[in-house]
Amino acid sequence: MSADEKLNTQSRRSFLLLIPITILGGMFASVASAAFRFLRPRIVNESAETWSDVAQLSELTGQSPLLKKINIDHVTGWALTKQEHQVYVLPNRDNQVLSAICPHEGCEVAWEQDSKRFSCPCHESYFSADGARLTGPARRGLDPLPRRVQDGKLQVQFQSFENNATEQIKRA
Amino acid sequence: MSVSPTPSAGPGPWLRTTGGVVLMLLVLQFVTGTFLAFYYVPSVDHAHTTVSFIERVLSSGSWIRSLHHYGSQWLSLFLFLHLIRLLSCEAYKYRKAHWFAAVVLLALVMAAGGTGYSLPWDARAFFSTRIAEGLTDGLPIVGRMGRLWLLAGNDISTLTLSRFFALHVLVTPFLILLLVGWRLARIVGPFNWTTINRNVIVAGVVFVALAIWTLKNPAPLGPSVTEVTAEYLPRPGAQFLWLYQTLKYVPGGLGSVVGMVIPGLALLILLLLPWLDIAALHKVSRQPQRMIASVILAGFALWIVTMTTTSYLSDHRDPRIREQLAKQAFQEKVVREAPFQPVSLQEAVGTAATDKDKAPAAYEKFCASCHGPHGEGGKQGALIFPPLTGMSAKPRRTVDDIVGLLNDPEAYGIEPPMRSFATKLTAPEKREIAEWILKLK
Repeated sequence: MSADEKLNTQSRRSFLLLIPITILGGMFASVASAAFRFLRPRIVNESAETWSDVAQLSELTGQSPLLKKINIDHVTGWALTKQEHQVYVLPNRDNQVLSAICPHEGCEVAWEQDSKRFSCPCHESYFSADGARLTGPARRGLDPLPRRVQDGKLQVQFQSFENNATEQIKRA
Repeated sequence: MSVSPTPSAGPGPWLRTTGGVVLMLLVLQFVTGTFLAFYYVPSVDHAHTTVSFIERVLSSGSWIRSLHHYGSQWLSLFLFLHLIRLLSCEAYKYRKAHWFAAVVLLALVMAAGGTGYSLPWDARAFFSTRIAEGLTDGLPIVGRMGRLWLLAGNDISTLTLSRFFALHVLVTPFLILLLVGWRLARIVGPFNWTTINRNVIVAGVVFVALAIWTLKNPAPLGPSVTEVTAEYLPRPGAQFLWLYQTLKYVPGGLGSVVGMVIPGLALLILLLLPWLDIAALHKVSRQPQRMIASVILAGFALWIVTMTTTSYLSDHRDPRIREQLAKQAFQEKVVREAPFQPVSLQEAVGTAATDKDKAPAAYEKFCASCHGPHGEGGKQGALIFPPLTGMSAKPRRTVDDIVGLLNDPEAYGIEPPMRSFATKLTAPEKREIAEWILKLK
């Protein structure tokens, strides 16, 4: 076999290799692009402008934070689920509403009446009665939520924020 | 895939690419099936909703499901062609592993198709599960017990659906992987690029054809079992029409023989073919194995083609059936294009009994003495009163149906001691009872 013929056989081989690679690649790409659209997470920004009732204004008295539960309808794909969230109302601070979600890793904090502070059961972050950060791994205080009064009821717009940021950054 | 021993010109080598097509379709079934499992929920409450969500909401969902649905039909077809091709090169003599793998794969693919058919839990799926139940029940010796094992109880329930799901997504795929792995490991080098290229090119052409077909034809999804009305005509998919039509002709008890025993025996004979080179048969034919396999494959091809055609023709000839099927197809299209309504999980799951779940007064007065205060059913001497639970998973049991049943039980095939309550209950009482019964889980 001459050198020319050898080269010819070689290029013929690599050309032959190109055919299956192209065809298999095309098949893979078409299914993969469909899979990407199919599996893409479904982000629904539903909490915007949704006001949930917290309590009647007349119930909100005393010096200590009051634990309240709010229910929010979440449409997640094919299912409509009610999710319960905990918030603290501060009656002695113009009914400010704090999210009970710890800004460290997202556990729910509890109010300790004896020591007059919020504590997180997971990693021992502590917050003062107005939600400011005291000690522990959390990098900011408890998150205040937008609130309003409608027909004698306190309402809140529930939101969640990024963990471990020093500022409040709304989650998508 | 298979290395041809003698390279030859003409269409011959191109016809020896069925293995490549089968492999491509198998991979496609695994891939699309995995995607579908990301959303599908195997429970009678949510199966239809989640499939409907895949079809109507998710982008590419309809295409992926259609690829999976029609891909399974094409896979059976190409496996059949693959078997014919192996027969033509006497693989049962010279490449026994190839022959063995192809026959077992055909059986496994059919099992996967049968179990997968029930999963969307639409009316069609429900009736096909009923047929599978009936055919299993009618099997000699093992039938009774087989039916209970298949259903996971004495009636079709959410446990049956879980069972079909596990068989479809775990058991059969695992066996198929084992088999295909074993078969591919037996391919010995050196690689023949020309053969590989031919296989890839033909597989690519089949893929493009399937992709175009499935883009134009979404996989069918009928009404959910709870929405099905009395006039609904269940028709199986094209892959089961031959069986459906045949069952019209054979007397009751023989259905299992025709639908399960004969195909099972045929597969068994094909499987044992490498060992069927029996001296006595040489008097009948010089190549007895070839003759046996040809008779079986040709017989099945003829049977399937004849019965499928007959089924289409007989549906087409009867104007009433034609009209009803057209109506169903139209309703399916309307539902497909309507906006999707998410279902409320709390209501669907059904929490502990509360006041609002309490039986209506009229139920307690007229029904509870036989069917029990909570619809759990009862027994008085030899009389058995069936439970009213799980009614929402059964066909022809909408609120209207139950009201109709209370008015005229015989029209719903229900015999005495159940009697008509047409005059004893008022119309709102009947509706209240019907709505309450449908909430019972």
